[in-house]
Amino acid sequence: MAGRLGPLLAVAALAAVPPLLPKYVLEVLISVLFFGYLGACWNILGGYGGQFSFGHAAFFGIGAYTSTLLFLHLGVTPWLGMVAGGILAAAFGLFAGYLSFRYGLRGPYFSLVTLAFAEMLRVIAVNWKAVGSSLGLVVPNRGSAPVLFLFADKLPYYYVILVMALGALAITRMIERSRMGYALAAIRENEDAAEAAGVDALSTKLAAMALSSFLTALGGTFYAQYFAYIDPSLTFGPAISIGGLLPAIVGGAGTVAGPLLGSFVLTPISELTRAVLRGRAGADIMLYGLILILVISFLPNGLVGWFRSRRPAAGRAA
Amino acid sequence: MTWLFLQAVVSGLLLGGVYGLVASGLSLIFGVLRIINFAHGAVMMLGMYASYWLFVLVGLDPYLSILVTGPLFFVLGMLIQRIVIEPNRAAAEHNQLLLTLGVALFFENLALVLWQGDFRTVRVWYSGASFLVADVLVEVPRLIAAGGAVLIALALWGFLRTTDAGKAIRALSEEPEGARLVGIDVARIRGVAFGIGSACVAVAGALVTPFFYVAPDVGESFNIMAFVVVVLGGMGNFLGALVGGFIVGLAESLGAAFLPGSLKQLVVFGLFVIVLLLRPEGLFGARRGR
Amino acid sequence: MSNDQRDPRRAPIGRRRFLTTVGAASAVALAAPALGRAQAREVKVGYMLPVTGPLAFEAQLALNGLLLAVDEINGAGGIKSLGGAKITLLPGDTQNKVELGNSEAARLIDQGVTALIGPFSSLVAFSVRQVTEKNKTPFLLLATVADNVLEGGLHYCFRMQPNARAMATLTVSNMMEMAKNAGVAIKRVAIMHEDGNFGTTMGNHVEAFAGKMGYELVQRVPYNLRSPDFTAELSKVKAARPDLLVISGYYGDSKIIAETAAKLRIGVHALVGLANAAYSNPKFIADNRELTEHLFDGNYWHNPQSPRARAVFDAYQKRFSSTMSNHGVQGYQVLYVLKDALERAASTDREKVREAISKTNLTDHILTQDAIRFDEAGENVNATPALLQVQGGKPVVVGPARFVEAKPVFPVPKWKG
Repeated sequence: MAGRLGPLLAVAALAAVPPLLPKYVLEVLISVLFFGYLGACWNILGGYGGQFSFGHAAFFGIGAYTSTLLFLHLGVTPWLGMVAGGILAAAFGLFAGYLSFRYGLRGPYFSLVTLAFAEMLRVIAVNWKAVGSSLGLVVPNRGSAPVLFLFADKLPYYYVILVMALGALAITRMIERSRMGYALAAIRENEDAAEAAGVDALSTKLAAMALSSFLTALGGTFYAQYFAYIDPSLTFGPAISIGGLLPAIVGGAGTVAGPLLGSFVLTPISELTRAVLRGRAGADIMLYGLILILVISFLPNGLVGWFRSRRPAAGRAA
Repeated sequence: MTWLFLQAVVSGLLLGGVYGLVASGLSLIFGVLRIINFAHGAVMMLGMYASYWLFVLVGLDPYLSILVTGPLFFVLGMLIQRIVIEPNRAAAEHNQLLLTLGVALFFENLALVLWQGDFRTVRVWYSGASFLVADVLVEVPRLIAAGGAVLIALALWGFLRTTDAGKAIRALSEEPEGARLVGIDVARIRGVAFGIGSACVAVAGALVTPFFYVAPDVGESFNIMAFVVVVLGGMGNFLGALVGGFIVGLAESLGAAFLPGSLKQLVVFGLFVIVLLLRPEGLFGARRGR
Repeated sequence: MSNDQRDPRRAPIGRRRFLTTVGAASAVALAAPALGRAQAREVKVGYMLPVTGPLAFEAQLALNGLLLAVDEINGAGGIKSLGGAKITLLPGDTQNKVELGNSEAARLIDQGVTALIGPFSSLVAFSVRQVTEKNKTPFLLLATVADNVLEGGLHYCFRMQPNARAMATLTVSNMMEMAKNAGVAIKRVAIMHEDGNFGTTMGNHVEAFAGKMGYELVQRVPYNLRSPDFTAELSKVKAARPDLLVISGYYGDSKIIAETAAKLRIGVHALVGLANAAYSNPKFIADNRELTEHLFDGNYWHNPQSPRARAVFDAYQKRFSSTMSNHGVQGYQVLYVLKDALERAASTDREKVREAISKTNLTDHILTQDAIRFDEAGENVNATPALLQVQGGKPVVVGPARFVEAKPVFPVPKWKG
């Protein structure tokens, strides 16, 4: 009973409260949802499938660049551009995934190869004049143009990322209960055993990869429209890859609500440490690193895992 | 053109030695603990600060500081492993990886708090020494760093082959289950491996201080490259990492000399991906690696 | 240098402060708009600098300049037209991250700042300028060079220092002029630049001027600033036999490039920094006396003829035990631009302050230029970089003519070797 009501109340609060909040809190909330969204996308492949990508920035960057280039050069609205970016990113995901899975890369090997793909795209973008090289691309924003994914105010962006984040969670939930979800979980636990039991590991992993990269690319478009500027290191750099996997793992990899929950904890922690230790450069991130170590040590299964372990009876159901 | 080629080869090899020592340490840690250690660059940075301060405060030559920083960082490495990693041995692989990321954040910003963002340099009398062989520049401190790195790596390799602790490390790296069965104290050996790996990278840090600079984020110059080298050499393959270092150093240097833009990084990552896909056990490995 | 200079309001962080800050973090933000008007006796000014992260070193130098100016102004009786109101600096750290730029800017605006100063890196500036425009808050750029940051019809954004175009144009033309006077022809130019936004912008300008200024760009080498070795890159440059090597980079990379170029006997008439973070930096010069002698750098600078500049440098030396750098000068001067505007606005109202900044005509400054005035876009119309050369272990102005301290040594014999 409470299990159903809780999320509904949370969503209602997320929808109703923001217009009343000061600008700063709204900015932080957008950050929370943004990284929560990235975490949810990463979670499909990394959390459920156990394929620990360290290079989701590759898909993110493809999304950001595709929609922005289409917008700047052809005037295509980013609402459409983001779909195009998603498709391109999924194609790249299938390519990278096929290579990696076909050659049997698992565990840390898969992490490293994805990291390398993202870095290669970054280097290419830096050296490619037609996509702006290191000068990056500026998204011109002159007031409100909802059709072009441009708003004069922060609030509409908030609702966009809220819908995206909740959508990603809904998709995750659907997958969790589908055949694909079971197949992914089986692969994560023991890939050889899963194959022996008749799971087509390659196509299951590829499907998860394609979906995960498609959704991550949409996040790239959001970023471009919201921050109005993209460049190779911002979009293809490791900060984005880590920014997605961190909330997912802290919240609970392989759980529906984990990534968003993780982001709701991590982003405010980083804001708080900065507020407390302001003026002493580095002290705040030092503390953040320490908290990260403690959280992972004491909540090895993430926040969701911790909640479940406290309510053992209810936990098994999900 | 020939000159440019020769110069690129020489400077690539000199750089490669340092990459090799940094990566040997990383490879050892991977072999035994099976985790990618993201804190490796941060440990190197701390090692460089240690050498810097020994030079500034006591006047100790950076090369001699190895005698202090080596053992010191061996202990530090053991402590990191014992306090942060070992208690989480049972947790998922990716949790341990994130722990090393947390350690890296902690160290890098500890340095920023303690010593600010200033770039510091160690100027010793041989810092600027160099000579030309057939017009090809050889910088003396870089030569010493490369040579020293190779010697130290070889000495450690000898250690791994001959001593009991070394044999235990190799056993654990090659046959984790078997090692446990023959009664090796696995937790202790993991600590020793992390310790040796950290000592390696601290020594590498000391070797580069005479011609480099010291700053809180300096480790990042070597971090990602070290991953590449480790994969080339075969994860867990100590000697392979040393050879891999030379390959990456050469690839980088030749890429810089003959490719437009800053595309030299593309060569290195391209090499990396190809080796990962075709020979994940590394160029020199024969066994499983996946 | 001790830690105490970092934050004017820094107190030891005790338990009490910890608790109050944690507890108040959200409450303050909620109540902040009201606080803005409550106290007329202080003017809140927010700074946003990447004091942690890869630009921490340079950011700290700029911050030192801000701190020096604030204490000077407050010590001299604050803003007179506001009844002696004191300036309170509210700190913001962007860590050179875009999303933090946005949230820090919003937080400072919520806290009622009259104006924002920052954010150093152009990457962060692109998104922060949207926050300041939407909230109608004056935004004084500090150390941000990208040309297009001020494009797009902004109203609240101003830039005192030269932009990339001005920096590159004047540096190259000053060099060419100097070569002509020395009777040396510069036909072949090479540039090495870091491959981020800053270096690439500079590289593009130097490439674009080639035709106009009558030289050929024989080699352009972008590089990753984290690279531990530049021997191969410099060999490529040497093989192209340039007359002049221009270098646009940050501190560590520029250090290694100069050292390697010297050992490689690069064979040029001069090594010229372009907005280089090291080549006119007093610390770099002090640490590398022999190497740095006769290096050139085109950079923003202070006017060496100005008695006021001399006093400021003394004060800086006394307070921070180091020589003021050009980033410090920028920080110091930009705060005086704001002070001047506050005096004329006689108000902390952001709209009025914006109006006053746009009408700035400040002649009492320490820069190498005429009066500080802003055009429609918010650029300082008279912004002029100086051409510097290290002589006797000290960067001296060798161009433009009006501010010259010493005759340039050109060609530089040691680079020709």
